[in-house]
Amino acid sequence: MAYKPQYGPGTSAVAENRRRQMNPGVQLEKVRDVTDEDIVLILGHRAPGSAYPTAHPPLAEQQEPDCPIRKIVTATDGAKAGDRVRYIQFTDSMFNAPSQPYQRTYTECYRFRGIDPGTLSGRQIVECRERDLEKYSKFLVETEMFDSARIGIRGATVHGHSLRLAEDGMMFDMLQRCLLGDDGIVRYVKNQIGEPLDRAVAVGKPMDEAWMKKHSTIFHSLVGSAYRDDAEYIEYIQRIHSLRTKYGFMPKE
Amino acid sequence: MTEATYPQCRIVPQRFLKSDSAQRLLNAVVRVEGVRRMIINGPRLPATVPYGPARGKPNPHPDRKKIMVGDTEFELEVQVGGLILEVEEKGVIAEIRKVCDEVLTVPYTLDEGTFMKPVPTMSDYAKYGPDADPRLLGLADPRSRKGLVIIQGLK
Repeated sequence: MAYKPQYGPGTSAVAENRRRQMNPGVQLEKVRDVTDEDIVLILGHRAPGSAYPTAHPPLAEQQEPDCPIRKIVTATDGAKAGDRVRYIQFTDSMFNAPSQPYQRTYTECYRFRGIDPGTLSGRQIVECRERDLEKYSKFLVETEMFDSARIGIRGATVHGHSLRLAEDGMMFDMLQRCLLGDDGIVRYVKNQIGEPLDRAVAVGKPMDEAWMKKHSTIFHSLVGSAYRDDAEYIEYIQRIHSLRTKYGFMPKE
Repeated sequence: MTEATYPQCRIVPQRFLKSDSAQRLLNAVVRVEGVRRMIINGPRLPATVPYGPARGKPNPHPDRKKIMVGDTEFELEVQVGGLILEVEEKGVIAEIRKVCDEVLTVPYTLDEGTFMKPVPTMSDYAKYGPDADPRLLGLADPRSRKGLVIIQGLK
């Protein structure tokens, strides 16, 4: 029988959202349009329209060693062209943001190829070849995994995920990379490391509270659904905890 | 160190205040009779990018700007997350609550307790010396090169 991943336990909406994001068979809802040039501007790794700088010659032009693994694994577009490795980093507010660092890493590992994610408590970074990165970033920004107010694209100075939101609902950002305009649209005025952009990049309107609650992947007893209300999740985590505690005694279920 | 102890309170809005709302709140609070000392709390908004590849470059921030409280103008360097106040007597706290109800558009909590340091620390000693004015204690970050702001023009 073929293995079919379950992606995660739980009966709550949060658990279901987590499984939805992780499952590459599910097509995530596209909630905003951002052009390729906008993504390049926010990332700040190269000027829009310029050629991709390379770290090595294209694979087709160089002699590759006779390696069985290279025959099994097809190189990604970026690797084939010899692109540099570059990154995008996200900060997700704890107030019902539609994704969070661990969730991002799991999702990316299931959905993308040739990536190196780094997971931290308040931020998540993913590194890969530049042209793959732009493709993946577009997915991460355009789909329901992003919200313009409660998720920030921040390469450095990420502080803010656990702080109160501002009066207008925006997550705190010391560098204020994005601003909420009078028309209700959030625009990036700086790239992810805080350098001013030549033109503002619109990333759409912040989602409303009901949408955020419905799409959240974070348990939060005060502003969302409480972890303790999901009995199946608790049972699962208790099982893991019990088995790892008894590990030295060779646990048998 | 002074012998007298004065009541203290802390206003914590549920959301960070933008500079305009902060200015409105501060102006309303300082007009209450009997406010002795005040600290504005919140995460700092640096003038230059503190670290990362863009380190040292200017960091324009819409909430880091000069505000007018009473007749005194000063630069707001934090995103306002709370106010700590020391008042002459307990009755003033009720007045402050009334003012907050009028001015704040977001829910808030107002706690009573001790929020300013009562005795000098080693850093305070190093900065202000042995004969420091007790009114200075706990009002400014000892590492900061900027001093206090005295609010004028209330009478």
